[in-house]
Amino acid sequence: MKNPYEVLGVAPSASEDEIRKAFRRLAKTCHPDLNPGNKQAEERFKELSLANEIISDTEKRRRFDAGEIDAAGAERPRQQYYKDYAGDRSRAGHPYENASGFSDFAGADDIFADMIGRGGRQSRRSRGSDLNYKLTIEFLESVNGGKKRISLPDGGSLDLTIPPGIEAGKVLRLRGKGSPAPGQGETGDAFVEISVSPHHFFVRQGNDILMTLPITIAEAALGGPVKVPTPSGSVMLTVPKGSNSGTVVRLKGRGVANQGQVGDELISFQVMMPTTSDPELDAFFAGWVPGPDYDPRRDMNL
Amino acid sequence: MIISRLEFIHRVHIDQTTLDVWLGEQWLLPNRNLPDLEFSEIDLARASFILDLQQDFGVNDEGVGIILDLVDQMHGLRKVLRAVMPSSGDDRSD
Repeated sequence: MKNPYEVLGVAPSASEDEIRKAFRRLAKTCHPDLNPGNKQAEERFKELSLANEIISDTEKRRRFDAGEIDAAGAERPRQQYYKDYAGDRSRAGHPYENASGFSDFAGADDIFADMIGRGGRQSRRSRGSDLNYKLTIEFLESVNGGKKRISLPDGGSLDLTIPPGIEAGKVLRLRGKGSPAPGQGETGDAFVEISVSPHHFFVRQGNDILMTLPITIAEAALGGPVKVPTPSGSVMLTVPKGSNSGTVVRLKGRGVANQGQVGDELISFQVMMPTTSDPELDAFFAGWVPGPDYDPRRDMNL
Repeated sequence: MIISRLEFIHRVHIDQTTLDVWLGEQWLLPNRNLPDLEFSEIDLARASFILDLQQDFGVNDEGVGIILDLVDQMHGLRKVLRAVMPSSGDDRSD
């Protein structure tokens, strides 16, 4: 453990004022919240704080000078720094987020709206309040994108461009569509949180679309072309001969296009018997002798 | 984690009057779940930062507001920079 006088760069005879000034001068260059990109800052700040704690306190300093305590002192446990939260990339957003450092960049609103995520829980100093809205869109709108107009309680409306591939829970920012500032400040922003209503047969998983496609026993047995829905329209698919319920085929690039990446559509077959009795089919099966290899319960050791 | 007003005051070691000043300055923006306030861990860490500025660095109230604003802008810029430079900094624990 280093000598606290050396750490702060002061003489052992330094006055309280000199010590305080030395600490402030050094500490501001390495306080982790003032230097969030500097990985050494935290260690260095700890060292400075510890040194300062010992020799800025008259009683502790006397005891240190007398050799009664060593430079390790009483290390104060530090809770996490603000930067650990404000700079945490796994967090969706927080109320202190501030985009004014780049809001003058051309197109910044559109490009960064998603990156910034959710804005303030309430108004920031001197700005009008941000207003939060929720909007539920159809599944296909979320995949294909589109334009929406939201009617507001006060009679106004908001026009919204839904980017293709938007995920439920994303928040779109409409700059300057919040409340006006009480003084001369900027108008607040509107934040629209997107929910997506479920589709009756498409399910989204990441950028892939999952769906179950019912097929007839003839299509399952013999294979053949069938029409399959995708979010961008129907396509023809060849069912492989001998498909089972649960067999999955992949339609490459037929999933969700989202920020430059395109998912696939995964189709799981479900073999359907006719819902009404079919005498001809019954007669066929009654006369049919399955081959010796056809035992779907073979693995069950019955 | 939701932290009540009383617990917040206790954990930050400040009094109600100080908290009221900070809220009035909008240095802290807790969730207003009426009738009370709900704080979270980011509010707690931000409060420690404010205390460091005031006590360790002798920054006055005007200075604290300016520093918080600049620090928040810096985090906003860092976030955007990180997003537009996806290959850098992924393995760093800053």
